[in-house]
Amino acid sequence: MKGVSELKICHLYPEVLNLYGDRGNILCMTKRLQWRGIRAEVARVGIGDRASLADFDLFFIGGGQDFEQEVLLEDLKAGKGEEIRAAVRDGKTFLTICGGYQMMGHYYQTHDGVKCEFLGAADFYTVGGDKRMIGNYAFALGEDSGGSTVVGFENHSGRTYLGDGVKPLGKVIRGFGNNGEDGTEGIHDRNLFGSYSHGPILPKNPEFCDFLLETALCRKYGAFQLEPLQDGFEKAAHDSVLEKVENGTAGRDD
Amino acid sequence: MAGNIRTVLGVAACKAARWGLRVMKRGGTTLPGRAAMAFDKNILETVSRGMEVIVVTGTNGKTTTCRMLEHAMTASGRDTLANKSGANLLPGVTAEFAANATAGGRPVKKYAVIECDEGALKQVVPLVHPKVIVVTNLFRDQLDRYGEVMHTLEQIRTGIRLVPESILCLNADCSLTSSLAQDVPNQVIYYGIDVPVGEQKNVEISDARYCVNCGTEYQYTFHTYAHLGGFVCPKCGYHRADPSVAVTSIDSMTARDSRVHMKINGISSAVTVGIPAVYNIYNAVAAVCAYTAAGFPPEEMIRSLADVHSSFGRMENFRLGQTNVQMILVKNPAGCNQALAYLKSLGEPYNAVFCLNDRTADGHDISWIWDADFEQVCKDPQLHHIYVWGDRAEDMQLRLKYADAPEDRITCVRTSEELLQKMQESQLPVFVLPNYTSMLELRRVLGGATGKQEFWKG
Repeated sequence: MKGVSELKICHLYPEVLNLYGDRGNILCMTKRLQWRGIRAEVARVGIGDRASLADFDLFFIGGGQDFEQEVLLEDLKAGKGEEIRAAVRDGKTFLTICGGYQMMGHYYQTHDGVKCEFLGAADFYTVGGDKRMIGNYAFALGEDSGGSTVVGFENHSGRTYLGDGVKPLGKVIRGFGNNGEDGTEGIHDRNLFGSYSHGPILPKNPEFCDFLLETALCRKYGAFQLEPLQDGFEKAAHDSVLEKVENGTAGRDD
Repeated sequence: MAGNIRTVLGVAACKAARWGLRVMKRGGTTLPGRAAMAFDKNILETVSRGMEVIVVTGTNGKTTTCRMLEHAMTASGRDTLANKSGANLLPGVTAEFAANATAGGRPVKKYAVIECDEGALKQVVPLVHPKVIVVTNLFRDQLDRYGEVMHTLEQIRTGIRLVPESILCLNADCSLTSSLAQDVPNQVIYYGIDVPVGEQKNVEISDARYCVNCGTEYQYTFHTYAHLGGFVCPKCGYHRADPSVAVTSIDSMTARDSRVHMKINGISSAVTVGIPAVYNIYNAVAAVCAYTAAGFPPEEMIRSLADVHSSFGRMENFRLGQTNVQMILVKNPAGCNQALAYLKSLGEPYNAVFCLNDRTADGHDISWIWDADFEQVCKDPQLHHIYVWGDRAEDMQLRLKYADAPEDRITCVRTSEELLQKMQESQLPVFVLPNYTSMLELRRVLGGATGKQEFWKG
């Protein structure tokens, strides 16, 4: 199968949801496939673009500014929203970050009570808070997400609450996570992965990146095992941030 | 306590704290201001009373624009105060004025050029009552500190509203900056570049793709860099204003300087900007605009732009043994991309140093390095070796790996002494791109080792 395998990656709303280096996740996935001789095809699908989402294997949605996020809600209503829900039901792999993650839930309710209806692709919702949760953080992935330790940077005021029986992506080791209350971080539902972690999340957490790629490859080709890569730089970056988080979550103050 | 006694005590406390820090050889910039404010919260208003003040804010170019203004004013015999150390929050600005006041709190100098943090503008301007406020541009920057760029824009607007008598100098090419003219009563003068610069590509990462008023995607008649250029909203009609101070042609751009023509209130002049790169052309035209808005003759500004020096880590040159070292401060994707494009444009072999810290003044979130286009230099055959250094050196080397730099061409250096040695041993010119606090530390080390000789300035 090697040499002929390929993942079609859909970068949704790259022109709007592009904060905090999240495009590094696309770069990371692409490189790690190419280094193993697997083809990676990335399509940027933005507002107003017509594309058959069923043709893709893996989807990425990043975070954006509130101001810019408003302009895409109409586009979701115009058809893409239903296609996204169908792809999630179909077991396609999704990595969604921060605003993109929130968008997969039922709704976002602002601090002053205004409710913004979202996709409802999974059972969770988000409530705006007055305190911003900012800093380097770390969380332990559940066994069914590979079990590794993820480090990243969170920056959100929305507090996300998962429905009963919905599994988080991981448990917070240090930091805020979904809501700063229940110790959960992100969501893992079917093959939909959501997280608050910028950083971007994947380059410093290569095991998680490979887990996502394998999930998408298995869905497409049945069993699939990725060859290991030399991850010296990746591990060095991961460990340096983990050490920072364990010693307190921010950089030095001087 | 009576107001004037509080002022006297505040000035004394500020000067004492400054003196104390200097004796201890520490360049503290916040403590003296806080000491003064402890006695008199609004002491800044007293110690700046009657002065003619120009305030410069915006994401990129604050320091250099201030330096250009101050250089012209000083060269023209105007005794000018400036916060050169880059301390641009309320305590730092307060310290600068208080330390330059008489014991009774009266200002000694008549003029001031003040760089002000975007978030601190609303605290600073109601106290210094600026004659002119310059806004350079708005890009994403240190987002964990400011939130989002729209939030920054609102903070600036709030500040401007507090001083309706100040003249606003706005960058016409920045759709975010020029939108400040809406909903404020101030007189506005626009500046900009009327012609395209470099390759006209539609940039992938734009900090302002959608109309600030109606959310429709902008169209452009030309680009200068990043989201700057001739924007027009096809739906609501919001568009680039015609600037009255404008660069009308770019005649040459080299590693030494840029030669342009500027139209200043209808009169065309040849202008040499003594530091390279397009963003310094923007800083120059912003400075000319502010200078004329303040009522000074533009010829003075034009004359002094030709020999303006690089400021504090921005395109600063050092001669280290046999090695030429140029330092270019980078703090966000837009500025970093410009610096990288500059390296690539030189067309000669070089080594590069990328320094990344994540301290409070830098912003703790370093994810912006993934939005910057390091690919353009990592794939440049002229770039021979890369050194990385700083609190987040490991993140930087990882970014470079994914930008296709071969791992064996990257060396992670642990200390500034080791970095200095690597630069000394370099057979090629070295370009150093540090962020803020790594620049400060590196500059200390480099300055100590070189006695700070500038090789291009002689």
